[in-house]
Amino acid sequence: MSKVITLKAFFEEARAGRLTGIRCGRCGELAIPPKEFCPACHERAWEPVPLVGHGAIASFTVIRIPPRGRAADSPYAVALVRLDEGVSLLGRIVDIPLDALKVGLPVRFRPLLQQDQTVVGFGPA
Amino acid sequence: MRRVAVIGVGVTKFGKHERTCAELFAEAAADAIQDAGVSPRTIQAIYFGNVVGGEGERQLHMGPQAGSVLGLPAVPTTRFETACATSHSAFRHAVMEVGAGISDVVLVGGAERVLNLPTDVATEYFAFASDAVFEQSTGITFPGVFALIARAHMTKHGTTEEQMAHVAVKNHRHGALNPKAQFQKEITIEDVLASAKVADPLKLYDCCPFTDGAAALVVAAVDVARKSRNPIWVLSSAAASDSMCLHDKKDLSRALATERAAQAAYRQAGRGPEDVDVVELHDCFTIAEIVATEGLGFFEPGTGGIAAEKGWTSLGGKLPVNPSGGLKAKGHPIGATGAAQIAEIVTQLRGEADPRQVDGARVGLAHTLGGNAATVLVSLFGSE
Ligand SMILES: [Zn+2]
Repeated sequence: MSKVITLKAFFEEARAGRLTGIRCGRCGELAIPPKEFCPACHERAWEPVPLVGHGAIASFTVIRIPPRGRAADSPYAVALVRLDEGVSLLGRIVDIPLDALKVGLPVRFRPLLQQDQTVVGFGPA
Repeated sequence: MRRVAVIGVGVTKFGKHERTCAELFAEAAADAIQDAGVSPRTIQAIYFGNVVGGEGERQLHMGPQAGSVLGLPAVPTTRFETACATSHSAFRHAVMEVGAGISDVVLVGGAERVLNLPTDVATEYFAFASDAVFEQSTGITFPGVFALIARAHMTKHGTTEEQMAHVAVKNHRHGALNPKAQFQKEITIEDVLASAKVADPLKLYDCCPFTDGAAALVVAAVDVARKSRNPIWVLSSAAASDSMCLHDKKDLSRALATERAAQAAYRQAGRGPEDVDVVELHDCFTIAEIVATEGLGFFEPGTGGIAAEKGWTSLGGKLPVNPSGGLKAKGHPIGATGAAQIAEIVTQLRGEADPRQVDGARVGLAHTLGGNAATVLVSLFGSE
């Protein structure tokens, strides 16, 4: 039996500061939901696992030509963060000076609220 | 599967247009049909590509609209969308329809129009091809996605901003030889390095432009092709996908879908990278060309930047890449790009690409990448 973590559930938890991964009951693959089959072994036996929300920047960019509606934020940084458990998440960087960003910099998950939407953010570890 | 050939090509001028996508496609399609030397009534299906028309022109159902403007309202049409790989996906399906014997002649291509939109709106629409919930929400843009890829490649392999600049300089040099190109002026390494930052480490001249334009191809079965003036044979056409979200990709410095599609295309064609004489590949950003030349098997992983720096991918080099000017200088009307790349390969293999002709080119490869490198098409072509 598989416990499906929906996007809605993932972001409701994230809003409360908790990140949720899913681990395959057959091969142990860890992934970010939502997924039905395990991409590694094609079993359908996910179990939710909490992620501590600590990781390091794997790559980052500073957006200087933003899409519509984000001019007031610009420039802002977005990073792909590799979490300690081994999965990655893309997030907006907050409270870290742009010139302090570097690959390998430790960061900690922080939920950001945009209107009603929860957005993945990362701040100082 | 029957043998299949491209027997006609048509490409509009790339740049800014006042006409609709359907009008632009119709011009390219009529040119392609006349180039093929067939009657319009031989067209049995139209495979049409477009990406942002729903937002940009408030127009869905563009397939029959394009057929109507072309003057072929009764021909069945289908619209394709795989982000920037759109019309190459349409091409692969046309090849399958003709190869399977369902139709003898299929018209395929695409059109895009975005220069009627403000830059921030076009930037927003292009970002629609990344995951809405996990990625667009962070404010990531398309240059931002490739900036993440660039930094990953720089971190892992030591690729430099100067090496990326060499790709831009080379493609502008090629584009200056292409009257259809959006930019027909040469630039210098210094121009690239001094250009405005878009998404660090990518600067303005690392990025392809927003472009309006259309391209079309006539795809025909062997019996029709043999009667045409200069058919170019489809040796293979392969597609591959990879995880949609960047967070699911195993290695940001590689394009796994490019590697998978290339392996399938080489296997189907019974050829390898060493057999390829000319390449049109997806240089939406300079780093994308470097990663693609590695994924297609032309250079070892991590050495694509060195290849660009040494001029190996320049006209006159050991493997000319993007003689058309590429997306960088020719322009990138996203729904038309795949068909336009194939049109260039056909023109090269016909020996009709003067003054940017790759001498003696007999085998060509087209590579088109969609979205966050989640869709890739690779096709191989031969003059015999
Ligand atoms: Zn598994």
